[in-house]
Amino acid sequence: MLVFAFALVAFAFANVGYSLKGKLPSGLAEYMAAFIVIVLVGHLALRRFAPWADPLLLPLAAMLNGLGIVMTYRLAAQGNLLSAPLSASATDIQILYSAIGIACFVAVLAFVREPRVLQRYTYTLGALGIALIALPALLPGSISEVAGAKIQIRLGSFTIQPEEFAKLALAISFAGYLVAKSQALALVGRRVLGIGLPRARDLGPILMVWAASLLLLVFESDVGTSAVFMGLFVAMLYIATSRTSWLLLGFFMFVVGAFAASKLFTHVGQRFEVWLHPFSGSNPSGIAFQPDQGLYGMASGGLLGKGLGGGQPYITPLVQSDYVISAFGEELGLAGIMAILLIYGLIVQRGLSTAMLVKDPFSKLLAGGLSFMLALQVFVIVGGVTRLIPITGITTPFLSQGGSSLVASWMLIALLARLSDTARRPPPRSIQEEGLTQVVRLQ
Amino acid sequence: MNRALRRISIAVLVMFVLLLINDNYLQGFEAASLATKPGNSRAFYAAQNQYERGSILTSDGLTIAASRLSGPNDVIKYQRYYPKGAEYAPVTGYDTLYSQTGIEQAENPLLSGNDSALDVRKIIDLITGKTTRGANVTVTINSAAQNAAWNALATLTQGKPGAVVALNPSTGAILAMASYPSYNPDLLAVHDGNKLIANDNALLKAPGNPLLNRAINSSFPPGSTFKIVTSSAYLSRTAGSSTQSSVYSPTVLTLPNGNSLHNNDGEACSVGTGHTTLITAFAESCDTTFANLGVQLGSAAIRNYADLFGMNDQNLTIPLLASPSNYPLLTDKSLTALSAIGQYNDTVTPLQEAMLSAAIANHGALMRPYLVQQITASDLSTVQTTTPTMLQQTVSPTVAGEIGQMMLAVVQDSDGTGYQFNQNAEGVTIAGKTGTAQNGVNNSAASDSVFTCYAPFDNPQIAVGVIVQGGGYGATVAAPIAVQVIKAYLAYLRTK
Repeated sequence: MLVFAFALVAFAFANVGYSLKGKLPSGLAEYMAAFIVIVLVGHLALRRFAPWADPLLLPLAAMLNGLGIVMTYRLAAQGNLLSAPLSASATDIQILYSAIGIACFVAVLAFVREPRVLQRYTYTLGALGIALIALPALLPGSISEVAGAKIQIRLGSFTIQPEEFAKLALAISFAGYLVAKSQALALVGRRVLGIGLPRARDLGPILMVWAASLLLLVFESDVGTSAVFMGLFVAMLYIATSRTSWLLLGFFMFVVGAFAASKLFTHVGQRFEVWLHPFSGSNPSGIAFQPDQGLYGMASGGLLGKGLGGGQPYITPLVQSDYVISAFGEELGLAGIMAILLIYGLIVQRGLSTAMLVKDPFSKLLAGGLSFMLALQVFVIVGGVTRLIPITGITTPFLSQGGSSLVASWMLIALLARLSDTARRPPPRSIQEEGLTQVVRLQ
Repeated sequence: MNRALRRISIAVLVMFVLLLINDNYLQGFEAASLATKPGNSRAFYAAQNQYERGSILTSDGLTIAASRLSGPNDVIKYQRYYPKGAEYAPVTGYDTLYSQTGIEQAENPLLSGNDSALDVRKIIDLITGKTTRGANVTVTINSAAQNAAWNALATLTQGKPGAVVALNPSTGAILAMASYPSYNPDLLAVHDGNKLIANDNALLKAPGNPLLNRAINSSFPPGSTFKIVTSSAYLSRTAGSSTQSSVYSPTVLTLPNGNSLHNNDGEACSVGTGHTTLITAFAESCDTTFANLGVQLGSAAIRNYADLFGMNDQNLTIPLLASPSNYPLLTDKSLTALSAIGQYNDTVTPLQEAMLSAAIANHGALMRPYLVQQITASDLSTVQTTTPTMLQQTVSPTVAGEIGQMMLAVVQDSDGTGYQFNQNAEGVTIAGKTGTAQNGVNNSAASDSVFTCYAPFDNPQIAVGVIVQGGGYGATVAAPIAVQVIKAYLAYLRTK
């Protein structure tokens, strides 16, 4: 599997080189060597720390990460044409981020030997998540503001988007809290409009965490991430309680919230306008310029794409981050997008089947939540770029150029690997002969 | 929990299926209609850099914009360059990665080789195996006149912003179009996006706004040069009038609202008897005389002649769009008095200044100004040629002759406002009108220096409009610049 991933990435690299320069790219061997070493380190760590983990997770993620590096290289090769120019060293930096991502992947596997360890830090991680989200809002705009949204922390030439890590912290925190309170939450407090609501004191803390994170995100003008948080929260609540009313309520609240936000905040209202009328009036040259260019790019790719290096993805503003999927659509076509979506789908499917398999409720909830969050993130950004839903700028896991999202995505894979290792680990053999009381190591 | 998880899995499946279906629709079915959307520039950009871009040349054969092969590491095949840089920037404009201005924009389809007019030649190129190139554009600019205009602006104004437009009065061909300060279009033709943004920002912040083409896109108060329009209205609308008509010309004019209007520096007009001939009042540029004529004529009559000379035209293209020159219709008589001497809300472009003299020089017939003389395909066959057309007859040939006489008096009468500089004209008979347009709140800012003229008087070859922002007296700053342009162009005509 890994060899296949390496071959695919190497082929894509060579393709870019031939298309743009008519020869193999000069740094190809170095880039490939670095990439293979990084992934092999991850592989060995997985063998060592989580031998029973799902064998598909690492190759799938590595394939996406490799494609992301190739696209960064391809865009940087014409980096001077981009609206936010990329320097030639962008590929090196992206590979460095991949190395950091794998390092964090290894660290998570090494330190979290049992998923339930995380349960102890329910409240710590919850507070950490909120703090990570709040940080850019509290910092002055000069270090935190980018394109009108306050979502990053700038340290010299490096930027960190803390919310990428906050997602993981909050997912773990939600899982811990919901498991502890799942019985209580299932109790009906009072019924409103035929829907049973839990008692306020059980729901209170988690609602506060959720409302705080949403408010902060609205304050930081980052709609996409709040949508992901909202979806994560509702899905985990549903998994924990099995109450369909939660889904309905969550969906209803989201629609109302989105509608209210579109009326209250012009930038949210614009997203709807762009979604509904991308080609009318002055929109194509104004607020809908970027989405339209993304659509044009994907359209010019057609079924089979222009080939890596053959398209003009640089026309789309910020194509290296939020709109990276449109660059893939332009150069790899419908076929490429379907393949990428299937890779994501496979990761999510592996995560969900882990959730089914694993015994302990906390792990179940965490695996389900993380998988759903990944699926939702892909849905929100790919759906946004392809105009299935209004566009909200979030990163495309593994593919977008930039470090925080990549590192956080690798940590997510590490958590899924740890959970699947737990789920698939064979039950311990009896350590004593028959006739004696059997001692079973408790999970 | 597993039941809920199973349902979540189904929800995830639905999400992915929706994404797949939607993307199939987008890239499979909708692709063709998206490809032809007007805002879709992908096909345009692909074509933009497909062929070697055509050159831009002056009418006397000087190359002012051309393309050459880019360096080995450049992803775009051809590099645009501008041999004469800032001097011709108002004419050529620039061609960046993303956009164009000037002739580069106006003739972009032909320069880039994508105009349908070139289709047949492309097929021939394909058969004969020749490389297709964009068409060459020959502009009407004369390099001698342009060079004189640019050098004069750069050296005679002490760095003040200004612009010159020179026209061939009998055709409307633009012989010179210079704006100072200007910029080097090479700075914006770079293929490095970072450099492009840095250079663009530097130019946007540079003092004097070098990216602005003042010659056609900036308008200034015309000051006394507007008296050409007021005189046109008076001579055309008053029976029995002539240059010798006696006109009221007090030292101080009491306006209808009771305010007093003085002549420049409170001087008397002519000998100070309160009446003088129209030609003397014009030559000495008596504000009281023309303000009074403005009150008599009324704003509507003046506006009528302002329109005839090309003012208030929102759609004048040369083919670059020229900003309109304005004479607003007024009801207040005192303001009409001010508008008749080119103050209050009157504004003109340097192009308009040149058009005033060009119409008078061409017996009242105002020709449509144009910048593109000819466009030739790479096989040297002509794609299009501009035929001179008349915009409209402004005043009768008789009135035009009378105003010509008055403009001659401006430079030849010993009391004329342009007399002092006539010594430098060396054998060229120039007819012109000076303007010193007051500016700012309570006229606190330095006056704009304005001059419009044509030459030679008996056989007009060139009409020039000059404006120097904050330059001071029209005769001392703007007029000498016009003389340089006229001398250079007439010298060029003699050598031909």
